[in-house]
Amino acid sequence: MKKKDDLKRLLFSLSSLVDLGQEVTSSDNFSRRMKTALFVITGMFSVPKAALLAYNQNRYKLELLISKGLKELDGISMQIKTKDIKAFGKNEPCSINISGNKSVFYGQSEDLFKKLHAKTFIPLFAKDEFVGAIILGKRLSKDSYLKSEKDVLKVIANQIAITLHNANLFRSLSNKVNENKRLYQNMRHIYHDTIQAFAAAIDAKDVYTKNHSYRVARYAVAIARESGWKEKEIEAIYVAGLLHDIGKITIDRGVINKGEDLSVSELSEIKRHPQISYDILSKINFPWKDLVHFVRHHHERVDGMGYPDSLNGEELSEGVKILALADAFDAMTTDRPYRKRLSLSEALGEVKKCLGTQFDSKISNIFFRVLQKELKGQSKEAQILPHLTKDFDPTIITTLLEGITAELSA
Amino acid sequence: MDNFSISVRSANGAGIIMPKGYVNNLGAEGLEHACEKFLDKGVRKIIINFADVQFINSIGASIFTGIVQKAVEYKGLLCFTNMKKVHSDVFEMLGITRHVKVFREEKEALDFLKDKE
Repeated sequence: MKKKDDLKRLLFSLSSLVDLGQEVTSSDNFSRRMKTALFVITGMFSVPKAALLAYNQNRYKLELLISKGLKELDGISMQIKTKDIKAFGKNEPCSINISGNKSVFYGQSEDLFKKLHAKTFIPLFAKDEFVGAIILGKRLSKDSYLKSEKDVLKVIANQIAITLHNANLFRSLSNKVNENKRLYQNMRHIYHDTIQAFAAAIDAKDVYTKNHSYRVARYAVAIARESGWKEKEIEAIYVAGLLHDIGKITIDRGVINKGEDLSVSELSEIKRHPQISYDILSKINFPWKDLVHFVRHHHERVDGMGYPDSLNGEELSEGVKILALADAFDAMTTDRPYRKRLSLSEALGEVKKCLGTQFDSKISNIFFRVLQKELKGQSKEAQILPHLTKDFDPTIITTLLEGITAELSA
Repeated sequence: MDNFSISVRSANGAGIIMPKGYVNNLGAEGLEHACEKFLDKGVRKIIINFADVQFINSIGASIFTGIVQKAVEYKGLLCFTNMKKVHSDVFEMLGITRHVKVFREEKEALDFLKDKE
C-alpha cells in the first residue's frame, strides 16, 4: 500500500514538472514565471507558505522575490555567511531548524523563517554561482520528503537557478546599455552645447544678428517637423541652422556691420560666406551627410538667381529650401544695419510675394501652417512665435494667414 | 485563464464558492481571494463546490493548499463538495482532505454546517 502511495506521489510530481514546463514557457514575464514555479512546487508538495529569494551579490543578501501564503513580506531580506553557502549542496533541499541555524543565517532570517514555518531550505546555484534560495514551510500532509520527491525538487531548483542567473545577466546587460545610453546622451548635450557656443560666436560678430543662428535653427526645425521629417533629419537641419553662417567668421567685421550700401567687392565678399561655411564644415565628419549641402545652398533661390551655385528649384533639396526660408524670414523680422525690421504681416506678405522666385511654394505653405498652429495654440511647443517681437495682433495675423493659404490652395 | 471562472453566493450563513473550468494556472488565484474575502467578512463556514471543475494541476493544488491554510488560520470550517474521484485522490495524497470536510453534495454540507457555530 505504501509503495502504491509513493508511486502516486512520484507520478504527481512528474506531472507537475510537465505543468511547470507548460506554464513557464507560456509567459515571458520574469516575475510571473518565478511565481508559477513557486506555485508548482508548493502545489506539488502541499506547502501553504513558501518564498523565493534572489541573492544580491552587492549587498550579500537574499532578497525576497516572490512569496506564497504570506502578506507584508515586502522588502524583507536575510543574510547568509558567504563561507557557509558552499557548505550547502547545490540545489539540494535541506532541512532547517528555525532556531538552530542562527550561525549560518542572520539578518531578518529568523523572522522570515518563523512567518513561513520554514522547514526546508534549497540553495540555488547556477553552475558555481549562488543566485538565490527557496524556503518551504511545513507540508499540509506533514509527510517528510521522499528521495524521489527531493530529486524532482532538485530538478526544479536547477531550472529556477538558471532562470535567475539569466535574469541577473540580462539585468546587468540592461544596466550597461542604460549607462551607455546615458553617456551617449551626455555626449550629445556636450556636442550641442559646443555647436551652440559656435553659433553664438558667429552671431556675436554682427551686432544686429544676435541669436540669428539659434532662431533660424528653431524655425527650420518647426518647418521640418511639420513636413513630417524624422527626428534624426530634424537634428541635421537644427545643426545646419546653428552653423549656416560660420563662414562669416572669416569676413571683415567692418563689412558685416556696415550700415550704408555695400560696394560690389564688399557684396561679393559677403556672398562668399556660404561657400566658406561649406569649406569649414566639410572637414567635420558630421553624422548627417546632407548638413553641409543645406549650409552651402542656404542663399540659393528657386528661380536660380541665388548663390553660390545658382541652382534652381528642382536642384534644391527640401532641407535647403527650409533653411533658405528660415534664414530670410529671420532677416526680415529683425533690425539690420541698412533697414528696420519688417512687421510680421509685412514679412508674411514678402514671403508670399516671393513664392516661386525666392521661396518654394510648398515649403512656404507649410511654414504658414506652422504659424497658424502656433497662433491657435495647437503646437506642443511653439518654435517661431516666442522669438518674434510681440507687436502684432494674433487675430489679424491668423486672418491674413488663412487668406494666404486659401489663395495658395485655390 | 479564459477557461476558468468563479461564482460566489451565500446560504444559511455559509459562503459558497463555485469554481468552473480549469484550475491550472495563476488565473485561478481569484479562488483564494474569494475565500479570504468571506473569512475577512467574518464568514467562517465555507463550501467549495467542485461540480464544474474540469481539471486541477499542481498550481491549482497550490491554490487549494493556500485556501486550507487560510481557513485553519481563521479557525474556519471548510467543506469540499461534488468532487470527482481524480480530484479527491489528489487532495487526499497531498493531505488537503485532512483539514476539510468532504461531502458528495452541496446540500449535505449545508445540512452539516447548519448545526455548527
